[in-house]
Amino acid sequence: MLEVKNLHVEVEGKQILNGIDLNVKPGEMHAIMGLNGSGKSTLSNAITGRENYSVTKGDIIYKNESIVEMEPNERALAGIFMSFQYPTVIPGVNNTYFLRAAVNAKRKYNKQKEYDAASFLKFVKSKLKEVEMDSKYLKRAVNEGFSGGEKKRNEMLQLLCLEPELAIMDETDSGLDIDALKIISKGINNYKNKDRSFLVITHYQRLLKYIEPDVVHVLIDGKIIKSGGKELALELEEKGYSWLES
Amino acid sequence: MNLSDYQNEFDNLISKQSYSAVSQPSRKDTFSKFLDSGLPTRKWENWRHTDLSFLNKNNFRITEPGDASGGSIDVSNYKIANTFTVIIINGHYLTINSDLPKELTVSTNSNGENWTPKNKKDTPFELLNASLSDSTITITTEPNASIQKPIHILFLCTGNDDLMINPQVNIDISHSSSATIIEQYVSNTSSFFQNTSVFASIEKNASLNHVRIHSNSDQTANISGLHVTQSDDSTYNYFQLVDGGALQRSDIYTDLKGKNATCYLSGLALLDKKQHSATYIISDHIMPNCVSSQNFKSVLNGSASGVFNGRTIVREDSQKTDSKQSNKNLLLSDQALMNSNPQLEIYADDVKCAHGSTTGALDKEALFYMQSRGINKKEATSLLIRGFVSELINDIKNEDVKDYLFEKFDNWLLNNNQ
Ligand SMILES: Nc1ncnc2c1ncn2[C@@H]1O[C@H](COP(=O)(O)OP(=O)(O)OP(=O)(O)O)[C@@H](O)[C@H]1O
Ligand SMILES: [Mg+2]
Repeated sequence: MLEVKNLHVEVEGKQILNGIDLNVKPGEMHAIMGLNGSGKSTLSNAITGRENYSVTKGDIIYKNESIVEMEPNERALAGIFMSFQYPTVIPGVNNTYFLRAAVNAKRKYNKQKEYDAASFLKFVKSKLKEVEMDSKYLKRAVNEGFSGGEKKRNEMLQLLCLEPELAIMDETDSGLDIDALKIISKGINNYKNKDRSFLVITHYQRLLKYIEPDVVHVLIDGKIIKSGGKELALELEEKGYSWLES
Repeated sequence: MNLSDYQNEFDNLISKQSYSAVSQPSRKDTFSKFLDSGLPTRKWENWRHTDLSFLNKNNFRITEPGDASGGSIDVSNYKIANTFTVIIINGHYLTINSDLPKELTVSTNSNGENWTPKNKKDTPFELLNASLSDSTITITTEPNASIQKPIHILFLCTGNDDLMINPQVNIDISHSSSATIIEQYVSNTSSFFQNTSVFASIEKNASLNHVRIHSNSDQTANISGLHVTQSDDSTYNYFQLVDGGALQRSDIYTDLKGKNATCYLSGLALLDKKQHSATYIISDHIMPNCVSSQNFKSVLNGSASGVFNGRTIVREDSQKTDSKQSNKNLLLSDQALMNSNPQLEIYADDVKCAHGSTTGALDKEALFYMQSRGINKKEATSLLIRGFVSELINDIKNEDVKDYLFEKFDNWLLNNNQ
């Protein structure tokens, strides 16, 4: 599904990623852990194609094709989704309207009939239920006035509506209360199947109690320095990162 | 057009006796005041940012009553659903295409008898309007009348001559009555200079919704003075859309002369190419317990430029004033330029005042967020610009007018987001 090969990324002239290798197969869930500033979000942004994140060396292969030259929306249409660590507020743009534009872009790409306002509302209502979100959030501008946890739920709602094959969850668990954490985890578990892969970035072992990663990677200074099973997460929780750095 | 060009035009009209004899002495007097003041230049504080080169390099013939050509003019393009339409061609009243409600009087005068306005500011263009105007239109509501259907006044410039037109509009909203008035300025391909003066007086407990649409051709300049006087418990809602014209300048004066009056001013400029639009406002709080707001936005593309100069004066006796000013501008190109200057002058102590101004490009984070959801850049851009302007247009109370304004916005966007 996703193959990251010797990826070097520069942001505004600063080298952040120094040769990342990853191989996420269909149906797999990979977790990435690491200190603040180690480059986890940079990796997510590079995969989704954010402007100014330039790949100076290496490659990102998605479904057997290099995507580094693709526009962010083309990557999204091909099935890549990122749940933002800090979801953007878009004043003036209604949440329903935005979500419908996104879903319709995808449906058009898939040569499906686009939703009109009424049929979209029916579609989105069922998704709202899954993330236990009140429909009043659809009436507001995108993420405007949303609490930290509400923003994360809104990201999850978008994921469920857009049905990506590769979902990158950048600290979706941060700032969630226990109930919300359970809802999001349940959402991820229900969504996951043999064709859908997850790349989950987290600081907390507690998330990994609810969802079971196949592989855990440790990212430090723009490099993956250790990979292992989910027991690696437990070990990190106990010992911190310093034992790995020497 | 320079001073002597105006002088020649004026002398010619006087010698042809284009105006009623009784008005001639005052016209001459006013015109000589204009000559004394001269045309504004960039050295004048209030004209420092207004680009008048379009007026300086073009010459115009000043209209006479005969310029109201009848003929068949297709105004269907400018139709707003469910309105009374009054058509003014080249400054001259032509027709009212539907029956006006009986609580409303529209009277016109096209020989310049009834031309002396109440509350004139002696600015050069207002002096020109006062000395050259050959037609006035006066709209009066009956006391206690609530007129639901908007009155749409369409100022249409047409023909092959390059004309200078000086319309005057008087709006009198009598006590405890309410009305919605839409002024729209449109022109065909020739070059025009519309120099308009509008006077609105809103009596006790009355309310006026006023919408002004400037959709002139690229060859047209529009300079307009708007003078509003408000009495106790009155409400004034003003919205202006500028989406056309080479040069557009509005000078808006609102005098809150009564207690508990409310005055909301808002506007949207959609500019591209070399268009220039400037809005100067003086909101004068003279009495206590009044509320005023200024909420203006512009979207500038190409090498367009704009000015927002909003001044709110809160005088000593106007305690408990609540006043807000906001100006937000979106620059779609590196060549576009905005000059924003909200100002508060407060002489009373128990007041609530706030002002703010932002000018910037499209939010890249928001664009990326939308693109990362599969929306292409063009559509994401449209959504953002629409989001930016819709806050203002959504505030328009009349649904038909709102739809019409959104339609105009969509048209503009079609040409400016490619
Ligand atoms: N636009 C940018 N300009 C300059 N430096 C940047 C930019 N974006 C990221 N960086 C730097 O790159 C490094 C990695 O940042 P990144 O956001 O990828 O870390 P992270 O692993 O996601 O951290 P956290 O756990 O705090 O979210 C940091 O030192 C950060 O300051
Ligand atoms: Mg991060």
